[in-house]
Amino acid sequence: MAEPALDIRDLRFSHRGGGFALHVPAYRLGAGEQALLAGGSGRGKSTLLQLVAGLRDVDAGSIEVAGIRMSALAGAARDRARGQRIGMIFQTFNLLQGFSALENVMAALMFGDSPAASHAARAQELLGSLGIPDPSAPVDRLSVGQQQRVAVARALAAKPALVLADEPTASLDPENAVAAMDLIQDACRANGAALLCTSHDPAMRARFTRIDTVDAFAAKVAA
Amino acid sequence: MSARPLTDTRIVLRSLQARPLSTWITIGMVATSVGLLLVLLGMRSSARDAFDRGSGNTHLLVSSDPSPLVAVLNGIFYANAPANPIPWAKYQQIRGSFPWLWAIPTQQGDSYRGYPTMATSTEFLTKFEPVAGQPWKLREGRLFERPFEIVLGAAAAKGSGLRLGQEVFLTHGSGGSREGGDDHAGHVHTEYPFKVVGVLEPSGSAHDRALFIDLESSWILHAFDRREREGQHGKVGAADLTDADRLITGILLRLPTRPGSDASAAMQQQFDALRRDTSIVVAQPAQQIQRLFAIVSNVDGLFIGMAVVVLVSSALSTMLALYNSMAARARQVAVLRVLGASQGRIFGMVVTESLLIGFAGAAAGVVLALVGGIAASAWLRASIGLVVDPALDPRDTVIVLGGAVALSALAGLLPAWRAYHLPVAESLRPAA
Repeated sequence: MAEPALDIRDLRFSHRGGGFALHVPAYRLGAGEQALLAGGSGRGKSTLLQLVAGLRDVDAGSIEVAGIRMSALAGAARDRARGQRIGMIFQTFNLLQGFSALENVMAALMFGDSPAASHAARAQELLGSLGIPDPSAPVDRLSVGQQQRVAVARALAAKPALVLADEPTASLDPENAVAAMDLIQDACRANGAALLCTSHDPAMRARFTRIDTVDAFAAKVAA
Repeated sequence: MSARPLTDTRIVLRSLQARPLSTWITIGMVATSVGLLLVLLGMRSSARDAFDRGSGNTHLLVSSDPSPLVAVLNGIFYANAPANPIPWAKYQQIRGSFPWLWAIPTQQGDSYRGYPTMATSTEFLTKFEPVAGQPWKLREGRLFERPFEIVLGAAAAKGSGLRLGQEVFLTHGSGGSREGGDDHAGHVHTEYPFKVVGVLEPSGSAHDRALFIDLESSWILHAFDRREREGQHGKVGAADLTDADRLITGILLRLPTRPGSDASAAMQQQFDALRRDTSIVVAQPAQQIQRLFAIVSNVDGLFIGMAVVVLVSSALSTMLALYNSMAARARQVAVLRVLGASQGRIFGMVVTESLLIGFAGAAAGVVLALVGGIAASAWLRASIGLVVDPALDPRDTVIVLGGAVALSALAGLLPAWRAYHLPVAESLRPAA
């Protein structure tokens, strides 16, 4: 049986200088599984994703992504593991401005192990399957929908085991939000990546069979 | 936008392209300071070169100037006409005191349109070498053989426009008042036309500005003036010369040397012997030039110091431009971190960006210095006949370029440090 995409055990985290604190006793996401992390804003959904991605340090506990204990890695090793195992999708896409769609996707490959000669082909294949007609166009000239596709292609370029989507539809109208979620969920399935998606939008609940709320992980702030 | 894989260098180049004004201004500042430094250093070595040219294979210079340094400035570089004469008898006494290889009398003080005359013997043009190992060469014509013939230095020929066979009248005195309130100061000797018989090739020394005549014609001009003052009018010939007319202002001396050596064993002894004669001043030109250069190098040290300050400030502005751009680039850096870039790699990218500015600026600076050097050398040659080599000294160039690139690398450290410590999670938040 494939190892879980995400395995969190007894994670503890509290913001320095106050705010909220998190305690996740146990959280597993199977390979290819998709889950929605619901809850109001300011409750720590984004923070939990950042902890999983290794962009923040845990206070205690462990986080494993596809069998690698991210929480035990530091520095360049952790950055490298993130680049290879985790794809991230943001509300505002966070594309590299001034670069083409192709370059944005290739950027996800430049810090990994795959040979440089294969980068363009991989990026073109992904962009083609996601319906970007002109991969050489600068991203600033693409429509919002196309930018979203580039962001999804970039998240999946390095063939990650886990995609973290942080409020991916928050800045879209309901119609576009549906299209975007179709795109993200289908692309993750097609590429064999698990998906952990945060949203405060109740309409999203219908799209996921597994729904967790971040409020369950709320911990008392240490005095 | 090709399908080449994305590399750190391409990301860095794209960052530079993204803010063209700042990039070009910082490259321009580095280029200007590098160019300035190279030109100043080049001019310093050219100046040193120019000072080294002129005394040539002279061992000792005798004059009646107030000090050895003044003697060299007047006798070799034509700074002023030497004011105090040496009687011909003194010359004969010195010449007879030691078996000199040669002892060449010189008399300065007259001029033609601002170009100084050098009244001397033909040995000045046959035995004395203005640059050691490079004897005079005639471009056209011949050397003077009798009174009232002129051989032109290359710059004097070019500047005055005089041609072979042309007749000219010399001015007694250098246009100024060499003899105080004397009526005859600056007086044009229309009584005695001189004829141009030869033009010299450039020597790269101050002698190129001179007009060479024989001593007798100079003495006759002076005798004419003396007799006018005494109320005797009419032409003067060689037979009318008295000891009071036979005056010189300098003697160039060379001692016998061993083959293959420029030094003479008797040098110090003869130098000391001449120094005991209080009626004259004796200089070792090489030594005086060394002293002169020590004075001048204080001044150009100041200029070079200023150029270094400009270079440092260009590095500071590179740093500021990069540092300020980091705020706008925080999101890009954070995204690269999410995609797997380590802090070290980000640090390297920022330093690379700063280094590229340094390299581009240094390269442009060399081009500036070469173009500026060629222009300056053309101007110096055309205006004052000074031959300055526009080539850059390889050692200076390497040091300046190395310094500029190293400073650029240093300038990148602080912005790179800022990028290194960028809080990734915070920088990814949607813009407000």
